[in-house]
Amino acid sequence: MRKFRRAAGTTAVLAVVALTANACAEQDSAGAGGNSSEIHIGAWLPTTGATASYGVPQKAGADAYFKMINASGGINGRKIRWTVKDNAADPQQTVQIARELVGQDKVVAIVNANGTSQAEAAFPFVLNQSKVPVLNEVGGNESWFEPPRPGLFGTQTLYEDQAAAIAAWTVQDGAKKILVVHSDPAAFVNVAKQVEPVAKKGDPSVEVDRLTVKYQTTDYTPVISKVKAAKTQAVVIILTSPEAAAFLKEAKLQGLSLPMYAYAPVAAESTVSLAKDAAEGLKAVQLVKAPSDSDPAVKEFRTAMAKYEPKQPAGFLALWGWSNAKVFAEIAKTIKGPVTADAINKAYEKATKVDTGVSPVMNFSPSNHLGTRSVQRVVVKDGVWTSEGDFYTPPKRG
Amino acid sequence: MSQFLLVLVSGVASGAVYGLMGLGLVIIYRATDVVNFAMASLATLGLYVAVSLRDQGVATVLGIVAAVTITVVAGLLVRETVIRPLGQGQLFSALVVTMGVSLVVENVASSIWGDEPKSFPNLVNGTVSWSGAALPVQSLVTIAVAAVAMAVVGYLFARTTLGSAMRAVAENADTARVVGLGAQRLARIAWALGLGLAALAACLYAPRSGLVPTALVAPLFRAFAGIFLGGLTSMYGAVVGGLTVGVLDNLAANYASASLRDTFVFSFTVLVLLIRPQGIFGTRTFQRV
Repeated sequence: MRKFRRAAGTTAVLAVVALTANACAEQDSAGAGGNSSEIHIGAWLPTTGATASYGVPQKAGADAYFKMINASGGINGRKIRWTVKDNAADPQQTVQIARELVGQDKVVAIVNANGTSQAEAAFPFVLNQSKVPVLNEVGGNESWFEPPRPGLFGTQTLYEDQAAAIAAWTVQDGAKKILVVHSDPAAFVNVAKQVEPVAKKGDPSVEVDRLTVKYQTTDYTPVISKVKAAKTQAVVIILTSPEAAAFLKEAKLQGLSLPMYAYAPVAAESTVSLAKDAAEGLKAVQLVKAPSDSDPAVKEFRTAMAKYEPKQPAGFLALWGWSNAKVFAEIAKTIKGPVTADAINKAYEKATKVDTGVSPVMNFSPSNHLGTRSVQRVVVKDGVWTSEGDFYTPPKRG
Repeated sequence: MSQFLLVLVSGVASGAVYGLMGLGLVIIYRATDVVNFAMASLATLGLYVAVSLRDQGVATVLGIVAAVTITVVAGLLVRETVIRPLGQGQLFSALVVTMGVSLVVENVASSIWGDEPKSFPNLVNGTVSWSGAALPVQSLVTIAVAAVAMAVVGYLFARTTLGSAMRAVAENADTARVVGLGAQRLARIAWALGLGLAALAACLYAPRSGLVPTALVAPLFRAFAGIFLGGLTSMYGAVVGGLTVGVLDNLAANYASASLRDTFVFSFTVLVLLIRPQGIFGTRTFQRV
């Protein structure tokens, strides 16, 4: 009986020790990834599949930045280890990857990942359960930041604000009748709807109409006919880059020469390479400066790309990745002591005037987890996207 | 009037592409009982080779010849390695295999050439003025090339010994074998012909859409609508069906709604199939139970 009691007591003690150790391990998972020599962060990116054309250059841009900063000693003596896993733009696969990154790789934060629905699928596990922050995701929408969620911080001007910036630009250029041509999925419709209120705020006499186009249309002949029939003075394009290119080519073919404006996804190198001279004069808003700018910060990006990622063109998407990586590094530099999930959250909430030189200056606070509402105006000149002026903050919507 | 003409010509040009792809599908289906879902991705492979050659300075026409050749060779390889071993009459197995091949080929193209959209050159640039409309020469060339290709195929099947043999195999492969026709050889010719037409259609379509690994999924989808509309077993049906889809698609976008063009076209197709389940030119088949 005594032997049994002793055995039971030993078992109970071992169980308590095991449970305590396990609890400590769970508690520590959010703080894992930070040690004295490196900061381990992770990301899910579509490097294969339908949106790989976004994920691959974004990864290359961020890689170039992290390699450059590691070569110069890292952040406060710590090297950055950025573990990227391919999610092929699939939300289910993203959840699995999130479990690997957080559970096995013990990353301290998800940084510079890609995809709105993909991230949303992973939020319950990453943000809510594991308390691991998700930072500088490419994608997102208003609901991510209104109200602010613990651990979720963004660096990308919302598509809705991009539409507001375009609306203000068209009115500023004197257009009285604007036609918004947009694809039919809800994400495009929602952005297109933001043009009218802001345009009317700038000039109440402005008329704004919308023309909905079937997603992935390639034959724009009838669409251009409708645009011509609308007798508009400016066209706002809320389409994907290949769709916008097809639209511009057909417009040129049919002799439609109106001022045309677009949001950031259209301001891509692919639009110019597909539409060629039909893209000349196209105006758009972007999240970063034009990669061809002579600005020293952009020059640094081009030099690092040539050195560390020579196979990848130094384009807009690579600059997005670079910019997001730099925002993280600039904020991580302010952390004194261990770089834990909690420390990163606090550092982001205190971060103001974060200037990468290539993107708008970011300002965060406990009540504002989205660093910027500003955009860069860019125009196609001689077949190259060129910056116009400095970063611009659009009027408030609604 | 000029606007109607512009929309009509553009619709006929798109329809000609769908018709060519549909013709390729029907030729392969009739000869080998295979609905070839891999046709579009194999043609995409050919397009990428053409673009690579263009980047090396090779003339566009030679690039198109290379695209057709590569597509045909790749298609024959697929047939000999993964379709033929299935045996005759394995309709659903072959369907799934071609879908699998399609995904593999798309991934291969993606890993070799990347996913960034690439431009594909027009055969000809410029416009022609007609009744006040500036018609793109590329659209007129698309229609002309497709018409010539369809006429050649029509002649081949109607007037040549090879065409008669292929029709005989399509009617009954066993009987054709008994009378001394090499069914496998004819099947290979049918695959080569079908894929060649698809590659040609792809070269005519790509200047408008640009090139990504999945660029031809949309026209393949419409080509299928065309062949079901025209009649799965009818070559005339494939052509007429494809043209109908292309024209209706554009007219619907212009006169109804640019966002409901697909809805209009496929509603029309469903309506026709409800009235004539075998399609406009298809033959109704009866099976003894």
